[in-house]
Order: sequence, then structure tokens, then C-alpha cells
Amino acid sequence: MEYNEKGVSIVPSEFKKEIFEEARKDFRYEEYVRGCLNCGVCTGGCPPHRFFDFSPRIVLQNMKSKDPELIWTMMDEYIWACFQCFTCAMICPFLNSPGGIIAILREIAVRRGFESARKVLKPYSRVLLKLTAYGNQLSPDMIQPDFFPDWGPTIGYASTDLAVKRKAIPMPTLQVTNLAWDVAPETMKELYEIFDESGVFKIIESVDPSLYEIIQDIVDDVRSS
Amino acid sequence: MDIEIANRLGLANIKSDYIHAAGRKLEDIHEHLLELEAKGEVKVIHVKDENKPIEADTLLGWKKKIPTNKLWHHKSCGQCGNIPGYPVSLLWFMNQMGLEYVDERNQTSCTAWNYHGSGTSNPVGLAAVAVRNWHRAYELGLFPLFHCATTFGDYKEMRNMLVEYKELRDEVRRIMHKIGRELVIPEYIVHYSEWVHVMRFEIAKLKKYDLSNVIATVHPACHTYKMIPEDCIYDKDIYAGKRTAVSTGVALALGAQVADYSTWYDCCGFGFRHILTEREASRSFVMDRKIRPMVREAHSDVCLTQDTGCTTTLDKNQWIGKAMGYTEQVPVMADVMFAALACGADVYKIVQLQWHTTDWRPLCEKIGIDWKKSEEEYNAYLEELKSGGKTVNLYEYPKN
Repeated sequence: MEYNEKGVSIVPSEFKKEIFEEARKDFRYEEYVRGCLNCGVCTGGCPPHRFFDFSPRIVLQNMKSKDPELIWTMMDEYIWACFQCFTCAMICPFLNSPGGIIAILREIAVRRGFESARKVLKPYSRVLLKLTAYGNQLSPDMIQPDFFPDWGPTIGYASTDLAVKRKAIPMPTLQVTNLAWDVAPETMKELYEIFDESGVFKIIESVDPSLYEIIQDIVDDVRSS
Repeated sequence: MDIEIANRLGLANIKSDYIHAAGRKLEDIHEHLLELEAKGEVKVIHVKDENKPIEADTLLGWKKKIPTNKLWHHKSCGQCGNIPGYPVSLLWFMNQMGLEYVDERNQTSCTAWNYHGSGTSNPVGLAAVAVRNWHRAYELGLFPLFHCATTFGDYKEMRNMLVEYKELRDEVRRIMHKIGRELVIPEYIVHYSEWVHVMRFEIAKLKKYDLSNVIATVHPACHTYKMIPEDCIYDKDIYAGKRTAVSTGVALALGAQVADYSTWYDCCGFGFRHILTEREASRSFVMDRKIRPMVREAHSDVCLTQDTGCTTTLDKNQWIGKAMGYTEQVPVMADVMFAALACGADVYKIVQLQWHTTDWRPLCEKIGIDWKKSEEEYNAYLEELKSGGKTVNLYEYPKN
């Protein structure tokens, strides 16, 4: 993240310190960061550790070092490797939660609109739009062969006659194609109020301003309906 | 290989008189919740007699009341979007048993899949969404039943945070007042798999097919038993109380064989973000760490799941394994869908296996289910609907 031609970080130390303090002030921090024997059981059981340069033991040790430089090194792609399965928290003898720390650090990365967060989340924007604008996350019409060619030839089942196939599902709430279930507009309005008041919309604006504009257009339409 | 499989088949049935929970001296949040209620700090959605509760043990031996009637269905984004037979099978069982419930449009996503994938929320946002949905069940006089394991994990976490942090309660209460709602918290956070577990012997009474030659492998969902692990059902008669009992319990009650495999504890590879935007990680994990061990070690006929993301990830990512020369395949479905099949629910109209990608027909044939007849009837039903025919629903929700 922002290095000079010699590979040295050009981000001011004060800023890195500020990021660490922001994490440490989070009300969950004390619960997630406890004692650590460096036993490594968290990393031994960590699923993404098998495929990525990612170790929950390192996450915890870096936090315990209180060294802003070390914590800063994780704010790039590192924190986005975590699967958020919480295997680490389940098996830690000291009840630490490296997965919980990752959640705090990710929140900071998106709240501050870090370039690395923007880059990682760019392909995710379709899902973010669906959830924040309509109230549920995955719609049947998103499951198309163009997007999921690696899911095999039968994935095209949802491409043809989708409306009638959804109508044949014997739950009226599910008989729609553009939402997982049919969310009432009044319910969406309550969700928008929650997103406004809790700062969720602001977070999205920080990390993806153009997506935020699209979402707000839909929100305005629903609110005025 | 026969000896190895015989050994593996025995594990699910091991009994123990002991619970080993070394180091986990946690406080029971349930008692603190009731204290807050007594002080007038929060309202609690209690499990009442009319909910016909059945008690179960959790990891530390605490008791958890699982309501079985008068339920408010809190649906799952991924289930409704792409595994519709998941919620339909659950409602089908409730209809078979004459139980009361509501499924309606007045529900939002828990938003936790998004949070764990993208970080674009915070504890206030997550807790406010949770309380909003809890309050909807409360105002209808019903107990909420959560379909998704990520909802279950997130809502357990939000319940604990709301009980522990006054500042969070105050902030969520303020937001609830803005939308005309109150701060309410359910006495227990209950996952549908817990309902299936405590109802397993009632479910087994409906059984239509012999499953004794079916070998099932269970994939326990991380957000069921790894998030707030102390609030998850364990049974000393299933895996000797060393693993969560849900899903395995109903498979055993139905007479299927439950086989062990070495990577049972691994996640499915969903990753929340990875399944959508870094799929090579998800699919490698699926084949190398889950499907191949299930097939090669246990000769599994079916993989049973208890969550949305796991079902999708494990089902959808097998075909691509052929690119690596992997030939192992196993059909994937939720415990409740497998149970519905065993109890005679229609393969297409109820269990809706047509939306799954890994071939499930050999499993049906092994059980003795005539899926071809079911397919013909379903296709005829689609034609009827195309010509303006009326839908046959399990439930009609109030239009207003």
C-alpha cells in the first residue's frame, strides 16, 4: 500500500498509529484479543491458510505487538483472505478471535475507503446493490451461465422459463425472479432508515461512490412510492 | 476398505456420559437477558407453552428450549434465491404435522452474509436489523425461527452484544423508535436445524423409504457451531457429545448410516466473498478438502448440510473438478430436504432438486424414489402454469 521505488512505505507513521488506535478503541477489541501462547492451533485449523498467505496466529501476534507498522501490513489484501468461518475462535485455548479482529480491520478499511478495499470489493458490487437497495442478497436471476460458467452445464436451468419455474415453488413469497423473496416496500423503507442511522449508507459511499449513487436512486424511488 | 468404512460408520453412534469443555468457563447469557428484562431494559420474546417447546442440551450442558409451534419463518437469501427446496421442505413438514407458522414479505435479510464478505456494516447496523426482524415476530405473537446458519451465528452474536453493552442497546433502541419498533430480544436464538433435531423422532414417524443402505456424510456449518459455540445443540448419544448433534441426529433417526471422514471440521470454502469473487479458492477447497474425502474415505451417497452457503458451495463446485481429473461426485442437500425425500415429499415440487447441479438421481434410485414420474408431473404442472393455471401453495400469506 503506497510504497516508493525502493519498496519503503510512504504512508506516514502517524496515520498508521491512527489506524491501530481506531482498531483498539473498538468495543469488541478486548474480547477478541486476549493472551496468546503462539501455539498456532488457529493457523493449523484455518481453511484459507491452506490456499493463501494468511495466518490467524500472525493476525493475533501483530495486534498484540501493538506495533502500528505490523498492523498496517495487514490492511492491504491480507485481511481479505479470511473466510470468516471462525474456526480460529472456536479452537483457540485462550478464546481469542482472530476472525473477529479481521472483521474490525475490514470495517476500518471500508469506512476509510482504502484503495485495496475498493479493489477487492469491485466485483462484489452487484450483490451489495441487491442487498442494500432491495433487502435481500441473492436473486434467482443472478444465477446465470455467463456469471457462473464453472458451475457446469446444468446451471442454465434457471435461464429458461424462470418466471414459471419460480411460480411453481409452493411458497408465495418465493414466486419472484428479481429477489430471493418478495420484500414489502414498507419493510425496505425500515431497512433504509436503519442503514441511514447506523452509517451503513455512508460506508458504501466511502468505498464505492458510484454504486452509492445508484443505490440512492432506487432508495428515493421506493421511499416516494 | 470395508474395514475402514465399518469403523467410520460407528462414530456417529458413540455414547458418552461426559461433557469435556475444558477452559470454557463462560457465563450463560440467557440469565443476564432475563435480569435485563426484570429491570425493564429490554422486552423478551419468551418461549411459551403454546410454542410446544422441546428441551435440548448445548455444548456446556446448558438447557435450550426449542419452540416447535407458532413460528415466524425468518428466511435465508441464498436458500430462497437458489435452493428453494430448502425452505419448502421445512414448511412441508410443518404442514404434515399441523403446526402453525407465518411466512411473509415483512422480513429483511439479516445482512450478515454481506458483512462477512465485504465489511460494509457495523455492530449497530447488524444489531438494528436483527432487532427489527425479531420485533416483527414479537408483534405477531410468534417465535422467530432462523433458516440460515449465518443468520443464526450473527443473531447469537448480536443477542450477546446487546445483553453485554448498554451503549449498543441505547443506540439500537433509538433507531427502533425511529421506525416505530421496540428493543426486543428472543429468549433463545433458534436455528431451523435445531427444530429438525428435536422433531427428528416425529419426522421419523412419517418415513416412507428404507434408508439403511444409504451412507450419509454430514458437513456441520461453521456459523452453526463455531460462532458462539456454547449455544449449539450437542447430544451425549451422538458422537459422544464431541460434535454438534444437529443433522446427524435426524439422519440416524431416519435409519441412514452416517459415516465419518477426516475433514469433517473443515469449512466448505464459501468464504462469503470468495464464492462470488475469488471462486478458484472455493472450488479447490470443495474438492480437495470436502468432496474427495467424503467419497474416498466414506463412500458417501449423500452429503448432508445445515446451511445455505455450504449447500451451494459444495453442490455447485463439483463439476469443475473434472478439469483436474477429479471424478468424485456426491449429491448435496440440507438435512431437512433429505428427511423430506425419505418421508415421501415430491422430488420436484417440494424438495426441488432440479435446481441442484450435482447429480442426485442415483441417490433417489438407491432409496427407491421414482424421480422420472415426479419429473413428468412437474413438467405437466409447468405447462399448466404457462397456460394460466393456478399455483398450488403450501401456505398463503396475508396480502396486507
